[in-house]
Amino acid sequence: MRNLRLSLAGLITLSTLATVSLSTGASANAAALPALSSCKTLIGSEEFTKGKLTVGTDDPAYTPWFVNNTPSNGNGYESAMTYAIAKLLGVKKSNVVWIHEPFDASFAPGNKKFDFDINEISYTAARAQVVTFSNSYYDVQQSIVALKTGKIVKNHTPAELKTYQYGDQVGTTGLTYINQNIKPTKSVRVYPSLDNAVSALNAGQIDAIVVDTPDGQFMASNGSHEITNAQKKNIGVQIGQFPSVGEHYGLLFQKGNKLVGCVNSALATLRTNGTMAALQKKWLSIYTSVPVIKP
Amino acid sequence: MSNDTDESLSEETPSFLAPRRKQLLIGRRGVVVSTLSTVVIVGGLLTVFYLARGGREVRHFYFDPHDMWQAFVGDHDKGLSSVGRGLLTNIWVFLVSEVFILIFGLTIAWTRMSRSPVLMPFRILATVYSDIFRGIPVLLVFLLVGYGLPPLQIGFISNLSVATYGCIALTLTYSAYVAEVFRAGIYSVPHGQLLAARSLGLTNATTMRRVILPQAVRTVIPPLLNDFISLQKDTALLSILGVVEAVNAGTIYQDTQFNSSGLMVASLLFLAMTIPLTRFTDGLITRDRKRRLASS
Repeated sequence: MRNLRLSLAGLITLSTLATVSLSTGASANAAALPALSSCKTLIGSEEFTKGKLTVGTDDPAYTPWFVNNTPSNGNGYESAMTYAIAKLLGVKKSNVVWIHEPFDASFAPGNKKFDFDINEISYTAARAQVVTFSNSYYDVQQSIVALKTGKIVKNHTPAELKTYQYGDQVGTTGLTYINQNIKPTKSVRVYPSLDNAVSALNAGQIDAIVVDTPDGQFMASNGSHEITNAQKKNIGVQIGQFPSVGEHYGLLFQKGNKLVGCVNSALATLRTNGTMAALQKKWLSIYTSVPVIKP
Repeated sequence: MSNDTDESLSEETPSFLAPRRKQLLIGRRGVVVSTLSTVVIVGGLLTVFYLARGGREVRHFYFDPHDMWQAFVGDHDKGLSSVGRGLLTNIWVFLVSEVFILIFGLTIAWTRMSRSPVLMPFRILATVYSDIFRGIPVLLVFLLVGYGLPPLQIGFISNLSVATYGCIALTLTYSAYVAEVFRAGIYSVPHGQLLAARSLGLTNATTMRRVILPQAVRTVIPPLLNDFISLQKDTALLSILGVVEAVNAGTIYQDTQFNSSGLMVASLLFLAMTIPLTRFTDGLITRDRKRRLASS
């Protein structure tokens, strides 16, 4: 959610799950990755709390990235991914410690209170000057969410898309995507949280929100209570997703943290042995059938 | 800062009655001491700020000149809003709300103080109103008005612009405070003034308009301006409704670029707005005090 698109021009348009081998090409430097066997000793000397892997995420932690706002249950894509990484680094499940790290605090100056932060944060060059990012653990696309009754549900050609009133959460890729790619005629409303944007959507103040595809799908699914009418029925719909712009999530580290090399090795292994794809299938499988629309 | 310490050291008794100039500068020695202490304290704080271990990092995060300028002008291609342009929204919302607050505030104060039996229900309403709106956090009033009115679908009230809902929320809240300020001001005029005016044969309304209000307004101007200073700052709450005003634009910059310099720009712009008003208020208080001292 809290993410910005990677501004790499000319990246090939790929569907969310088909990007396995290509998308890390942007930031990976495979040659420099340390061997996982050497990491088990390195990690002991670099950990924030010795003997523990301290992982930060925001509260509430949203579905489908986490389940029931409980990062330690191993459910949800980001929770499962964290435990998969920990296992490869030789950290026992009981030694993974979760802490609450608000998004704004995760990049503030000063010593970080975690080894890494996992919070749907997208890599960008500007952000990478302040913190260190791991390679991609999820390649993400943007999608449009609106009310089922909205005009935008039927009318969303590129020209028509420009005419709607959009709203979004501050600092998100969705917001940047609207301004850079859709370029609407009415200025976008920017809310402090996604919940505020949803309230505005329910109140008819905005026509649509642009969010990461999995989040959008969840918002529009029956399991979610975010966009509801008086009868508590979900009245949201995900209209479609935009072509990939090469955006991806990275784990956030203190600038220069040496652990990032080991975590990148773990991510590379998870990618090649199919674990990453399996976890995506398990936790994000309903998100594979979203139609692609053009901005 | 140092002026305050000098004031307490003043040899004049009782010092607060002495002319201000005399309290502040007791000869040349006073000037030297106050200058020295200012330099030491301000210099000390700046040194700590510059030499602290994380000072460099903090300066870059909050006060980077390049980032501050970028945030001030904005960059539409990168989706960064301009903090400077955002401030214009704060200013117009502040000005519009201020006018309505003065009108409603005075009306409510007047209603609460009326004696006519016919106005009884209005008196109760006005009392309930100022109790409620002084008690609810402004933020909640914003949410109630901004997200509550549109779905009601009552004609034009449900189709106003978001900034207008902000004006309504601010007016609702601040009118309650300002009404109390007016009421206190009117009550501060000695009862003898009323009696004298009535014995001259002036009507109730004329007494209010010509005798009581002019004296009351003089008393209430400093507390009113005080309320308006905090009103200026509360316009930042428009961001909760999605309006890209100065603080929201600064937050967009921060969350996009991982740098808070934009928020510092917003703070500086707010200071530039409020400091003239605070200085003006202080000046008014000083002038008023001088006049009262002279007449007594």
